[in-house]
Amino acid sequence: MSATPGQANPVRAFVEQVWGSIFRHGLPSTDKVAARTALTNFFLHIHPVRVKRSAIRVSYTLCLGGLSFFLFILLTITGLFLMFYYIPSVDQAYQNIKDLQFVAVFGDIIRNMHRWAAHGMVITVWLHMARVFYQGAYKPPREFNWVIGTLLLLTTLLLSFSGYLLPWDQLAIWAITVGTNMAKYAPIVGPYTRYLLLGGNQVAQGALIRFYVLHVIALPLIGFLLMVVHFWRVRKDGFTGGL
Amino acid sequence: MATVERPAGAARGARASTGPELATPPLVVRRREEEETVVTFPTLVWREFLAGLGMFVFLMAVSIQVNAPLLQKANTAITPNPAKAPWYFVGLQELLERFPPIMAGVAFPTFVIVFMMLTPYLDKNPSRRPQDRKVAITMFTIYLCLAVAFVLIGALMRGQAFNFDPGLLFGHPHLSSPT
Ligand code: HEM
Repeated sequence: MSATPGQANPVRAFVEQVWGSIFRHGLPSTDKVAARTALTNFFLHIHPVRVKRSAIRVSYTLCLGGLSFFLFILLTITGLFLMFYYIPSVDQAYQNIKDLQFVAVFGDIIRNMHRWAAHGMVITVWLHMARVFYQGAYKPPREFNWVIGTLLLLTTLLLSFSGYLLPWDQLAIWAITVGTNMAKYAPIVGPYTRYLLLGGNQVAQGALIRFYVLHVIALPLIGFLLMVVHFWRVRKDGFTGGL
Repeated sequence: MATVERPAGAARGARASTGPELATPPLVVRRREEEETVVTFPTLVWREFLAGLGMFVFLMAVSIQVNAPLLQKANTAITPNPAKAPWYFVGLQELLERFPPIMAGVAFPTFVIVFMMLTPYLDKNPSRRPQDRKVAITMFTIYLCLAVAFVLIGALMRGQAFNFDPGLLFGHPHLSSPT
């Protein structure tokens, strides 16, 4: 098909219109175009248009906050796949995990990734906290973002802990038994907290469904909201930059 | 790279020339114009992409090689020995071995969390430079080292009945259960 002279190829024009309606600017050939691209793109809008060169030196953040966020996304995606197979019932959960590990195509990779990324996230979040501390990045005006960060650290730990029970194997049930036994020691409220968490006095079906709901809905939602506020404040307070 | 350092160095030089008694507010309020900036897209986004890709490749490699643990089906009648919390809580379990439960299980963790949240409000020192923050840095480093040590001891050196057994580190035969 060849376009008549003086008239654009209609297919090409269509493709260009569609592309142009999605991406309003070309590749960032100049700073100006780059700035426009960042400004008009929802996902890039999380960043300011310009940043201090010293602030984005890899040696400054060690990418740790960003990597924590990346792992969170990766965990959400792999977790979604796991949910296609997993039924939170004491009769079925263990077999579901076995099927994932040994039967489902790529099931083992997805499960392994979810597991290792979860451990990894605990580590990166922790190291991110350490880097923020050593650089004094919690000082005014960023005090409150440090508080939000603390809540994020707790959420990360609880996410990992609640996921630990789901495979319903010996490792899972006993780790959660030991873990929730610690809650018992709180004066007065301790035993009630444990009962509330487990939906009973033992780690059984009640506990499994509670941990499942916390793990796939409640905690990710809380974590996501906290992250949104965390990032918003990093933007509004400005990023610290080199010492 | 040298040009990157210069603005910060210049600001510091200017500060020093006003004399130490006029301790100006710290680097936090350093003016924007003094800093060299770059466009976020693509400079920063590219780096984020590379970092994410690196992490993904690493995790994929690990996931292909190492299977996530899966033991026998849960059975409340058989208690594994030792029974351990997940590694990031094993430090807490370690504390429980050494202190009364009300201290280790409640007082310490609550203190750590509350103290951590209050840190930015308690630390009145405005400077962000390490040489001005010796006390804060020392305290935090001690905390980090203690936390890591307790997790390592709990995870690697606690054997049967959670007894202290550093021989486990070197493949002691009593090692029975993975963490
Ligand atoms: C799920 C957990 C977390 C995620 C995804 C996250 C993500 C981020 C990201 C992407 C940044 C931008 C700079 C960087 O990459 O380092 C940042 C900055 C910051 N984070 Fe976090 N963070 C988390 C947890 C925490 C924790 C536990 C703390 C401290 C208790 C914390 C305190 C801060 C502060 C104060 C800043 C501003 C630093 C600056 O301006 O230099 N965050 N965070």
